[in-house]
Amino acid sequence: MAELTSFSYTAGDSLLHRIDARFKMAFIILLSLVGLNAYFRELGFLTLILLGIILRARLPLAAGLREMRYFLILLLLIFVARVLSTEGIPLIDLKYLTVSRPGIYNGVLVCWRLALIVILGFAFISTTPPSAIKAAVQWFLKPVPLVPEKKVAVMMGLILRFVPVILNQAAETAAAQKARAVENRKNPVYRLTKFGFPLIRRMFERADDLVVAMEARAFTENRTDPELAAGKRDWIALMVVGCLCVSLIVI
Amino acid sequence: MAITRNPQPEMNIIEIENLSHRFADGTFGIEDINLNIRQGSFVVIAGLNGSGKSTLLRHLNGLLRPTGGGVRLAGIPVQENLLQARKFVGMMFQDADSQIVGETVYEDVAFGPENLCLDRDEIKSRVQKALRAVGLLDLAHQRPHLLSGGEKRRLAIAGILAMEPRVIVFDEPFSSLDYPGIKQVLQYILDLHQSGHTILVTTHDLEKIIVHADRLILMHGGKIVRDGTPADIMVDVESFGVRKPCAYRLGVEAESWLN
Repeated sequence: MAELTSFSYTAGDSLLHRIDARFKMAFIILLSLVGLNAYFRELGFLTLILLGIILRARLPLAAGLREMRYFLILLLLIFVARVLSTEGIPLIDLKYLTVSRPGIYNGVLVCWRLALIVILGFAFISTTPPSAIKAAVQWFLKPVPLVPEKKVAVMMGLILRFVPVILNQAAETAAAQKARAVENRKNPVYRLTKFGFPLIRRMFERADDLVVAMEARAFTENRTDPELAAGKRDWIALMVVGCLCVSLIVI
Repeated sequence: MAITRNPQPEMNIIEIENLSHRFADGTFGIEDINLNIRQGSFVVIAGLNGSGKSTLLRHLNGLLRPTGGGVRLAGIPVQENLLQARKFVGMMFQDADSQIVGETVYEDVAFGPENLCLDRDEIKSRVQKALRAVGLLDLAHQRPHLLSGGEKRRLAIAGILAMEPRVIVFDEPFSSLDYPGIKQVLQYILDLHQSGHTILVTTHDLEKIIVHADRLILMHGGKIVRDGTPADIMVDVESFGVRKPCAYRLGVEAESWLN
């Protein structure tokens, strides 16, 4: 489960750690919206500030980037697609493929915007315990009609809790099938069904066990609310982020 | 309706009368069980897989509804107040992994008290007390899937303790544990008994626990077939598919796994 451990909460006492999860969630939304409409100068400015905060909070940025490797491949694909699909004066002209200056410009811009949002997510996840994220989601959903916010919060918690269990189970099922030479079968549909059905059945059995165990501990939707406390620091941070966003838009 | 503590140590804390449970396919899980458990006793329920041990236990806190008869906890029928029954009887399941619901050790232990709608200060104090009792206070912010097998069982025990039950039921508590894990869990079971809890343990392997029990119940085919002190019942265990512990086979004095 090592692959799950560094892109998750890292205990600490930095400013980022101490800000209320609801405010951090609002910052992510605001900064993402600004970031999606920003150009190089603004993106550079935002990235520098963000990296500064991340380094100051002593978050495992290198480990985080390593875990983002698949996302970086996705970014590369997006870059290539952008480069090849944007028209302009060609820089390199192969028979079927043309690379233009606006293409490269466009590709870098889109990738940078997406990367910024992911880094924002990394900073949020690394400095906010899952329970606080859950509590913040519950708080935001409270005024939304027809959404049972407490149920949603419990479900979020269970998903976070059971991802490693499901991955363990998947690894075990895969190993057991390899031990019986499943790799000798080349048909992917055959392999997928032979892998998928036992795994899903086991998951449902586990879900059943979980329901019974939760009932035994008197589970009810009407439970003690999570603890959330916003202070002066959070409001100041909101003002700073708000001003930053407005100035980036105006500039 | 609240269940109040009965000061009489000799009272029957659990009374089971003509309890039957028939599954949807018509087969009996348990049939016509009559059983009284004294407060503070240490009872081992043994039997083959499928003999009805877990089905019986799940009636104690209303996880299963009887198709006949009923269970009373300190004189009050389980079905009358399910929430009280779940506070009264803490249950540790065979698979600790699917019993743990929190993302951290602390949150898992807090799950039960939160369901009881206790205030935050009370929850905090109960969680700390429970984690201290099982020696997991230092791991309060650890993620449960990173714990060892023995630690996961201890976490499950802490989750139960935080609800302050009077009866604690362990369903196959030693399955798939290594030797140190077994010793740890056994020690905590004994500590809980010492602190006044009534303990019920189901197992098909008497070896690890029987020396500590004051009563042994054998189940077979959904019925209670023997009930008495371990020394009296031990003669018959193998006729019901339960292995006699080594000490009893060799005719020597049985020794605790903790020695």
